[in-house]
Parts: sequence; C-alpha cells; structure tokens
Amino acid sequence: MDWSTEMAKALKTNGYDMVAYVPDEVADRLLQLLHQDGAFAMVSATREEEAVGVLCGGFLGGKRGVLVMQGSGLGNSINALCGLAIGYQIPFLMVISERGRLGEFNSVQVPLGRAAPRIYEALGIQAFWIDEAEDIAPTVDGATQLAFGSSLPVALVLSTMLSGGKTWR
Amino acid sequence: MIRVEAFRRLVTLLDKEPVLSNLGRNTYDLFAAGHRPQNFYTWGAMGTVSSVGLGLALARPDLRIVVLDGDGSLLMNLGSLATIASLRPANLVHIVCDTATYETTGGQASHTAGTTDLAAIGKGAGLSRVERVEDLGQFERTVRRSLKEPGPWLIVARMEGTTTTVKVPRRPIYDKYRFMEAIT
Repeated sequence: MDWSTEMAKALKTNGYDMVAYVPDEVADRLLQLLHQDGAFAMVSATREEEAVGVLCGGFLGGKRGVLVMQGSGLGNSINALCGLAIGYQIPFLMVISERGRLGEFNSVQVPLGRAAPRIYEALGIQAFWIDEAEDIAPTVDGATQLAFGSSLPVALVLSTMLSGGKTWR
Repeated sequence: MIRVEAFRRLVTLLDKEPVLSNLGRNTYDLFAAGHRPQNFYTWGAMGTVSSVGLGLALARPDLRIVVLDGDGSLLMNLGSLATIASLRPANLVHIVCDTATYETTGGQASHTAGTTDLAAIGKGAGLSRVERVEDLGQFERTVRRSLKEPGPWLIVARMEGTTTTVKVPRRPIYDKYRFMEAIT
C-alpha cells in the first residue's frame, strides 16, 4: 500500500473527522483520499495560521483535527500554535511534508527546513519523522494517544525518503 | 455607537449561542457587557478568531456561532473571508467591530481609517450576506436577523472603542473547559 493510503486509513482508524490544510503536492493524494472518504470536514485554508484556528474551533465543538501542510507552513503557523493550540492546550495532529531537507532543489526552502527540528523543540511540540510507509499506522496511533493525552499538538513529519519530496517543475 | 453598549444589546439578543471574541478590547468589552459560560475569550493569535469561529461552526451546525472580530485583526487574516465564503457555513455570524484603530497597542490608525472597506472585501471574497451598520438601532436589527436567517453573515459595524478597564481573568485553559461544557 502507498503511504498516502496508509495515512488516510490510520487517520480514519484514530477517529479524526476534520482536516484543515493548505494544498500541497506531496500531500495531494492523501487529501484526495480524505475528501473521497466523505467522513472528514475538509477545510482548504489560505494560510497555515488560519488552519490552526479552524482546528482549534473544531476541537471546541468536539472535532478531532488534522493539520496537513508543507514544512514551510510551519513558519506561517507559529503564532497560532502558540496563542491558541499550546496556550489553550488544544490537541490535534500535524502532518507535515518536509521541505528544505534531503533532496531539496530550491535554496530558499532550506533555511526553514534546516531550522524546523529546533523550532518544534523550542515550541515544546513533539515531532516524529516517518521514513517508511509501514511505520505510519503505529506512529499515528501513538501520536494520537500522545496528543490527546497531553492536550497538545503532535507533529508527524513525512520525510522526503518516504514521500519522494516535491518535484522540480 | 460605543462598542460596550453594542455588546450589551448583543447579549440581550442571545440565548445559548457561543460568542468568540478577538484579543484585546473586544474581549474586555464582551466580559464587561455580559460574561456568560458560552463566551470564549481569546488572548493571542491575533487575526485567527474568524477561523476559530469557522471551525466551531462546521463542528456544531446545530448552534449559531457569533464571532466578534476587530478591524486590525481581520486585516491580518483576510484570507479567512475567502475560506468562509467558499464553505458557506449558514450558522456563522461574523461581526467586525471596526474602530479604525489598533486600540490595544496605543490607538494607531488601521487602514480602515483610510480607503480600506472591509464590507467590500467581504463581498469580493464571495460573501453575500454582508451588512454595514453605523448606529445602535441598526446594529440591533441586523444582529437579530443574523441570529435567525441563514448566513454566513459578515456585519461590519463602525464603532467607537471604549475605555473599559475591567480586569478580565486571564485563564485560557480553564475557560476552554468551561466553554466546552457550556456548549455541550
């Protein structure tokens, strides 16, 4: 099974029912699968901060959320992560396709990609890198328990080893 | 129209509707006008309250959700108008308290003091129920309609800020649980 199908299945199994995202090449198939499933409230946001806000509101109303974005979106999401998700202790799962790491072709994507591990650390957000499709199910299970047990967002980073990364068009 | 007076009118129109206020003076004035367990006060993440309202509106289509935004805050998240317009949650009432100033940072002018028109931006984003209100009577009539008729609504209310100095308890985590219990 390809990683997108594995991920869609794992999200469904873990009871997620709201997805806020900013469109992304790597996550495109995953997002299509989630759309097709029909059980997820899908919100295409204009910016990652907005997506964090949507998931926080969804949580207040009983939804279990997933934020799907490119690594560069981490930079755009920081103030919302701090002022809403961490400040109010609102959990959700972050599924992030890596930029600026192995295989990157665009030099200006590198600074944030290089900084990302330390950004997660500085924010106190636990991040787990996924390199193999077979690790997706147990990682999503564990991250879900961790997020909802600790009332904080947890990040799963789709490494370029897993996804193949973005195509140079 | 003075904001805290507008909020006092708003509170009298409400039953169990959740109200989300953006950081700063909207939160102070909502607390002063009528603290209730269905109020959710935000303290940071400037600009995101409209998005929080959207998420809650999608999660709870059985409830009418009221968002109290500010002009400076909305200018920081104009994209949310496009997202709301695309998803068309019928139960979302987005009220912008347009004071044309950044009040909590010292009263500097926002762009709505000049040429920027948030109602026109809302229409351009694709929203159809967009109202401009200038006085308390209009505010009350429009909000009353918005609580009954399908939205999403964008109500841009020209207001004067207030000098409320009420100390709102800053306890976000407690407030989150209290709010969630109140709307269950």
